[in-house]
Amino acid sequence: MTDVLELPSTRHEAWRWADTGGIAAAAALAPVAPAKADFLDLPGARLLFVDGVLDDAASDLHRVRIGDLTPGDHPLGRRATHGWSLHLDAGAVADPVQVVHVATGGENHLAAQIVLAADTSAQLVETFVGAGWSNRQTRIRLGHAARLMRAVRMTQDAGFVSLRDDAELGEGASYVATVLGAGDQGARVDAAITLAGAGGYAEFGGALLTRDATKQECAVRVRHAAPNGQSHQLWRAVAADTSQASLAAAVEVARHAQKTDGEQSLRGLLLQRTATVNLKPELEIFADDVKCAHGATVGELDARALFYMASRGIPAPRAKALLTRAFVADALDRIADDTVRDAFAADADAWLERAL
Amino acid sequence: MLKIENLHAEIDGKEILKGLSLEVNAGEIHAIMGPNGAGKSTLGYVLGGRPGYEVTAGSITFNGEDLLDKEPHERAAAGVFLGFQYPVEIPGVSNVQFLRESLNAQRAQRDEKPLSGAEFLKLARAQADALGLQQDMLKRPVNVGFSGGEKKRNEMVQMGIIDPAFAILDETDSGLDIDALRIVGDGINRIMRRPDKAVLLITHYQRLLDYVKPDRVHVLADGRITRSGGPELALQLEREGYAEVAA
Ligand SMILES: Nc1ncnc2c1ncn2[C@@H]1O[C@H](COP(=O)(O)OP(=O)(O)OP(=O)(O)O)[C@@H](O)[C@H]1O
Ligand SMILES: [Mg+2]
Repeated sequence: MTDVLELPSTRHEAWRWADTGGIAAAAALAPVAPAKADFLDLPGARLLFVDGVLDDAASDLHRVRIGDLTPGDHPLGRRATHGWSLHLDAGAVADPVQVVHVATGGENHLAAQIVLAADTSAQLVETFVGAGWSNRQTRIRLGHAARLMRAVRMTQDAGFVSLRDDAELGEGASYVATVLGAGDQGARVDAAITLAGAGGYAEFGGALLTRDATKQECAVRVRHAAPNGQSHQLWRAVAADTSQASLAAAVEVARHAQKTDGEQSLRGLLLQRTATVNLKPELEIFADDVKCAHGATVGELDARALFYMASRGIPAPRAKALLTRAFVADALDRIADDTVRDAFAADADAWLERAL
Repeated sequence: MLKIENLHAEIDGKEILKGLSLEVNAGEIHAIMGPNGAGKSTLGYVLGGRPGYEVTAGSITFNGEDLLDKEPHERAAAGVFLGFQYPVEIPGVSNVQFLRESLNAQRAQRDEKPLSGAEFLKLARAQADALGLQQDMLKRPVNVGFSGGEKKRNEMVQMGIIDPAFAILDETDSGLDIDALRIVGDGINRIMRRPDKAVLLITHYQRLLDYVKPDRVHVLADGRITRSGGPELALQLEREGYAEVAA
């Protein structure tokens, strides 16, 4: 049993919707047989971690290294002290890196570090399966005009996935991340992204789909510390049954970060009225010449559209699935790679099949 | 084919249909006319099974079966098509996907094989062409950003693809330009003018009836049919107004 009591209480604003009880319960899950590791049909590195331990035989590291990593001071992230890293020297081109995290009960912790030097680009796809508490700390450093594309899908059958990301973008760097919560585990996506150099571009968003009594949340803070930066946080939350999906997205613009363009689009969909969606867009702007748009709305499926579809012969569960898929499409469409996007869309479809 | 007897229906506790009776046989086209707010669209929604439209008395049988017993999607599969007065916009769902889902959902309920993507596209393109709907509108989200007339044409494209046995067309003519009116009229005749099919045509104007000749014309006022007649009744209504003819 883990010392989860060391986590901040939900009285702290940043932990308001955190499901610390869910983490404790996940950490106490009895062992289960390892789930099948599904790598997508992409070239490049394949890393299979079972309970945070690399399965050598099933992995192909390419440029990735395994070793100890400096733990941060984040209450969750600091538990991960060992893991994988990818360092690209200036101008290097890397094939995609795929990581599959299999949990077989209990808790596991793993750290990752991605350091991209100037003018490099990398693509990362992560998949969580199995049951238990999977806790991850990911540190990202992007040099001048470096580009990282990342997609994370949380599709465990039970337990909890907690992600702590800490990203710093240099001048003209670009970081595009899409997260999908489409399993039956709880989740906390906790990220701090700093646009440290001028003209940085950050997209951090995704879709959280919750059912039964699970709780998932994102708690993301984007800091514009330099001028001419752009950030987009586009999140969709879909909650069924008595579940709870929470989106807290903050944008912070420092005094000298002029010409910042920050966008937050948080939208929730309640599939039943017993479910809960919490939205909290937050702006802290200290510069005067900025453009920050934010929207936050929660709604239900359009009854007129459901009847229209029924009148054409589409049964209610299918009609609801089509409308819900359309609702989350914006978020998943941000994934540039066809193979990855199709896989994530299929996960969302599978979730809808189960939930509706 | 369709038999409505003493139908009473309410919305939010307010009675809208107040003892409506109507019989439509296979091979017939009936027009329903009547003042605003009389309950014409309500009749269409009740036939389609829209939630919130509660039938408090009376019966509706369709091909001998109790229609009210069926879910809305089952009514569609049984052959009932409702052309909407105000077609609904569905952002994020393409027309093609919507129509293919619709058709295959109906086919599945009737234990028929689904149409493949290619078979479906061929059918959809042919119907869109016949009704003068631009091909690229098939790819766009359902009705989103369509003009009033385009939405109505889209309803008819849907009807052509689904090929129902019975259609209730609620003011399909409103919002259509002169050419579109003729195209849509021809479409209704082509798709529905068959010995084994029937249509209930809700309209305010004679002009559609110039193209789609009704076998019977009814006046619906204050929740019931107050007068019925042949095609000449529509002309008389247009000349003299509801107050004179069907008060
Ligand atoms: N949700 C509702 N609650 C109460 N009354 C309603 C509701 N919806 C519709 N009505 C009323 O039901 C009556 C019938 O409406 P309906 O749309 O069937 O008329 P209609 O004959 O189709 O009129 P039009 O020719 O203008 O299309 C109207 O008086 C309308 O205001
Ligand atoms: Mg009407």
